[in-house]
Amino acid sequence: MNRSRAILRKIGWAFFTILFVVILNFFLFRVLPGDPARAGIRDPRLKKEAIEMLRVRFGLDKPVINCFEALNPIKLGSCAVNPLDTQFFIYVRNLAQGELGVSYHTNRPVADILSERLWNTVLLIGAGQILSIIIGVIFGVFAAWKARTAIDFTSVVSSLIVWSLPTFWLAIILLFWGSNNGLPLAGKATPGASSLPLLQQWADIGRHMLLPTITYTIVYMGEYTLIMRSSLMDVLSEDYILTAKAKGLSTFQILKDHALKNAMLPLVTVIAINLGFTVAGAIQIEAVFSWPGLGGAVFEAVGRRDFPVLQGAFLLIAVAVIFANLIADLTYSYLDPRVQTE
Amino acid sequence: MDTTAQVTEAQTQWIIRLLNFWRIFSRNRIGLAGLAMLILLIFVAVFAPLIAPYDSSSSASVKIGDVYNPPSSSHWFGTDDAGQDVFSNFVFGSRVSLTVGFFAAFISIIIGGSLGLVAGFFGGRMENFLMRFTDIMLVIPDLPLMVVIVALTKPSLLNIIFVIGLLGWTTTARVVRSQTLAVKSRKFVLRARAVGAGKRHIISRHILPLVMPILVVQAVLVVSLAILNESALSFLGLGDPTALSWGQMLNYAFSRGAMSIGAWWALFVPGFGIVWVVLGLTLLGQGLEQILNPRLDTHHLMPGRPIVRGDAGEASEKNSLLEVRNLSINYVNNGKPPARAVENISFSLKEGELIGLVGESGCGKTTLMLALLRLLPSAGQIVNGRVIFNGKDLTTLSEEEINVVRWKDISIVFQGAMNALNPVRTVGEQIAEAITKHLPGFPRDQRLQERVIELLDLVGIAADHKDHFPHQYSGGMRQRAMIAMALACNPQVIIADEPTTALDVMIQAQILELLDSLRKKLGLAIIFVTHDLGVVAEMCDRVLVMYGGVTAEYADVDIIYNDARHPYTQELLKAFPDLTKPKKKLSSIPGYPPRLDALPVGCRFAPRCPQAFERCHREQPILHKLNNPQSAAHIASCHLLEASK
Amino acid sequence: MSKDHFLEVRGLKKYFEADRPSIFTREARHVHAVDGVDFNLRHSEVIALVGESGCGKSTLALLLMGLEEPTAGTISFEGRDITHLNDNERKSLRRKIQMVFQDPYESLNPTQTIEEIINEPLLVHGIGADKTERDGRVKKAMEDSGLKPAEVYLKRFPHELSGGQRQRVVIASALVLEPEILLADEPVSMLDVSIRAEIINLLAELRITRQIAVIFITHDLGSVGFFADRVAVMYLGRIVEIGTMLEVLEKPQHPYTKALISVIPVPNPRLRRERIILQGETPNPIDVPQGCRFHPRCPLVMATCKASDPPFVTLSKTHQAACLLLVK
Repeated sequence: MNRSRAILRKIGWAFFTILFVVILNFFLFRVLPGDPARAGIRDPRLKKEAIEMLRVRFGLDKPVINCFEALNPIKLGSCAVNPLDTQFFIYVRNLAQGELGVSYHTNRPVADILSERLWNTVLLIGAGQILSIIIGVIFGVFAAWKARTAIDFTSVVSSLIVWSLPTFWLAIILLFWGSNNGLPLAGKATPGASSLPLLQQWADIGRHMLLPTITYTIVYMGEYTLIMRSSLMDVLSEDYILTAKAKGLSTFQILKDHALKNAMLPLVTVIAINLGFTVAGAIQIEAVFSWPGLGGAVFEAVGRRDFPVLQGAFLLIAVAVIFANLIADLTYSYLDPRVQTE
Repeated sequence: MDTTAQVTEAQTQWIIRLLNFWRIFSRNRIGLAGLAMLILLIFVAVFAPLIAPYDSSSSASVKIGDVYNPPSSSHWFGTDDAGQDVFSNFVFGSRVSLTVGFFAAFISIIIGGSLGLVAGFFGGRMENFLMRFTDIMLVIPDLPLMVVIVALTKPSLLNIIFVIGLLGWTTTARVVRSQTLAVKSRKFVLRARAVGAGKRHIISRHILPLVMPILVVQAVLVVSLAILNESALSFLGLGDPTALSWGQMLNYAFSRGAMSIGAWWALFVPGFGIVWVVLGLTLLGQGLEQILNPRLDTHHLMPGRPIVRGDAGEASEKNSLLEVRNLSINYVNNGKPPARAVENISFSLKEGELIGLVGESGCGKTTLMLALLRLLPSAGQIVNGRVIFNGKDLTTLSEEEINVVRWKDISIVFQGAMNALNPVRTVGEQIAEAITKHLPGFPRDQRLQERVIELLDLVGIAADHKDHFPHQYSGGMRQRAMIAMALACNPQVIIADEPTTALDVMIQAQILELLDSLRKKLGLAIIFVTHDLGVVAEMCDRVLVMYGGVTAEYADVDIIYNDARHPYTQELLKAFPDLTKPKKKLSSIPGYPPRLDALPVGCRFAPRCPQAFERCHREQPILHKLNNPQSAAHIASCHLLEASK
Repeated sequence: MSKDHFLEVRGLKKYFEADRPSIFTREARHVHAVDGVDFNLRHSEVIALVGESGCGKSTLALLLMGLEEPTAGTISFEGRDITHLNDNERKSLRRKIQMVFQDPYESLNPTQTIEEIINEPLLVHGIGADKTERDGRVKKAMEDSGLKPAEVYLKRFPHELSGGQRQRVVIASALVLEPEILLADEPVSMLDVSIRAEIINLLAELRITRQIAVIFITHDLGSVGFFADRVAVMYLGRIVEIGTMLEVLEKPQHPYTKALISVIPVPNPRLRRERIILQGETPNPIDVPQGCRFHPRCPLVMATCKASDPPFVTLSKTHQAACLLLVK
């Protein structure tokens, strides 16, 4: 009973966080001086009337929020207006219908642009995360098991070095290297590849993914190595490992049955917390390799000052991260018996 | 006069502390390397105009041939897209990166530190609200939010500093809060409250000094993250065009064709700067962290040291089940002479016998027990002696061979069963594991489960607790489960290492009664290790009293309690409260047990011994065999006993 | 003011919330840590509070120190009600009542020197006109606590001292305020056997030289013999028996006290005695048993024990126990 209660509470908080992001997203783009009308204020070509027309065109003439007289003693917002006719309500209503506005640049619905890109980012992050976790765990296990040897020292120092690499710079270096080795450097597929048989299409995508995924893996595996090492070191110096040894279990049995699961638990938490940071990496990698994902969309939108796309992409990224975080959190409470019953 | 004296004294205190810190820090190679890298870069940034060969702001006329020139004698690292000297821009760029890093981190640390401190210290609703807010901010991805805000506002350096600073405090808040909570719950804070100290005093004298070091480590980390974030923002085209940071240099080079020309210098050099400063900070942070949380870099799976058997002689008692002869164990101590943790211990155990091993903390009793099954930590080394079990010398076995003896023939009940049981596996699983390991023929079906239930029943645990985890057990139950596990393979010997320490008196009595009845029922031989002379008096056959790693006295139980010859045994018994004579004043032993790294030259008990004479401080006594008609073997190590030999 | 009214505790209770009421559970459940405790402490008297873990003895200490607010009941000191005080009153009272904690490893701040630790109470209370006077008091407290000569220890840090020395530092930092009552919460349970006697002897000496009343909290009945005037045995938040040391140790009346005394290890195999080993463990203080709270484990349980909570039965002027067997 307690457990389902804890799960419900976690889901509730994730929902609340999404709500916060939705509101934050709205006000960021309203409060900060970024809308097309305000951007044009200093443009001498635009007359007052033209600016006003722009505002009407983008719905910016409507009041931001209703003042909700009963709740709000300082009368923030306009009180004369129907709450259903405010910018905020329209934003929320559109959101509920899956509408994120229209790109200033391509005039296509933002939701369409982003939905095809979301899966490319998930593909990249998924492949990179899995690889970096596997490699990080392997290095971490060896470093801890062979503590105070050359293997250990090398793993720790190289992990610290890769941790310090700026993602986009590593991507550039690999791009440089790839350009000399005939690897595809940009995009997700060779133009015209869609006419090929399915298997060859996949192989083509795989070749395009190679460099972005390697970048991603290198950047994040260092941290996983370090965490796995210290977590396993802690576990291996616990008394229950001595018990296992006294029971006559072999080193391999002890690692497999008594150490790994216990040491992996902290890693799950770190993976959850890291998701927010890995998106940052994805943006940089996608920017360098022109990978058609959300990060690439952010990069392009920044260059073109295409705010609807930026707003939509931010919202989508944030919601995806919150969601992934929730899953990691729930996994943790499933894996650790101590959490279940507390 | 008084106040100045105090100030100078406080200052000298601080200087001493700083020197102490430096003494420790200077031994940490990783931290030193990081600090050196950082100092070098700060030097470059401060003296940039002197180091850079060209003034980056000079807008001398650029000719077509000046753009993307490869490295040459006039431009060590070539020129960039604007025909400027890459090296000069690199040198000046260090100023921008460090400025952003330090100022942004300053903002983050102030916000995160104070939020964490307030939330951790005051607790209640305030904490709930602040931490929920922090949680939300922690989940929202940093960089995309920074991108959005900088894109919507002016990409000036000041803006970037504020955006990075105002969004980068979340981890700091979490870390500081949990450290504050941890410090706050420590007993010395309760003691300060009991003394009458107010909140301000407690925060400034007790919380801050212990939170500060963590905040420093965190600050180093936050600076490096801020520098990384600034470079990423600049690279994405959101940098301040007027401040040429390394990220900005990369942005220009990348977007203006350096890649297609193959101008690696324009791409490599600025990135190298970022790696240098971030790596320097990371190494420094790692070094500080290692000093702050010093961990013994050892664990139970590290290979043990080779055994030296020396000349221990042959087994003397033919009918004994386990005989330990002249066993000595050292702890290897980096550079220093090894600590002689256990010296020349001999005892023997017959079937169904219970021997009590008594000694204070640090007397080497646990080391001795671990050595019997060759479970010593990696610094421990058997330097002499034999452990003969059923005629077989355990010190000569290979790792595979000893694994067969462990638990199957000799099992151990450890002190503090909470830590000795794996927290993420059920108690039933952990008992079954021992059976399947040592009895490979045992059917792994229902019968295995029945055997586990039978074992639990033997120690008085109901079958329905089989699938529970250790944290669901009470302290007494965990110790019972540990005993059930020790019995799993029907061993001949059980080593019980302080099995009742930290348990309540009544639970202690229950466990003792259980062990005694199991011994009678199953014919077990037991080595019972304890610091409490009273505990073993009622059930053991023989007692070995250890002091400072050596045998003080070894004899039948009645002799130890009624005719002890070693002054330590005598004094220890006198220090024991006797319920039958409640009004009697306790006699105490002055001084403290010796530390293994600072053993006295002569008799190890001499500094505390009321009967010590000159020779005791000079010469270590040998073991004297006493002729006692009531005891088979009575051994004591004391110069006073020389005559009675 | 009569001699009996030095420190007086009446009907003291402390309940902690076990879990908060929410939409899932209707009522909050409570941990009945201290559940109706009465006793008096006389001037310069030593009283031992004995009980197993979970009996509420440590919570009782925190209540007496004002470090926790009681749920009900009163505490009065020298005739004055001190149950609820404001910060200033509490602070001035702290000069009179001081505490020694169980774990000498945890109760000293590792970043302070011994001098700073022992000087801290003086600083907090603004005692001493100048540094010389404070130094004098610090030195006296240290030497009274057996840290002789004081100069050797002043500039050291806690980690440089042994467990016994640290406990002396804790005692010195309590003594420096010259209190009238010293609460000692298991002061020797973390120490080596050979050190314990020294600390107990030190406390016994202080009581004579400084006229300090001591409340000695312990789980070990064996250690109270030499210096306690009276002994109170606690079980599940209540005192079940109280009397002079000899009355309780030699003529225990409550079945729980009898069992506790019978299991104290005797360091002599010739004195093997019949032990009364209670089965099971102390029940969880959230669900306190109905009737006599000891009845589920009592070897002499009767039918009536399950129904009625036994009153205190007076056995002598100084000896009382709460058991239905004693009701005549």
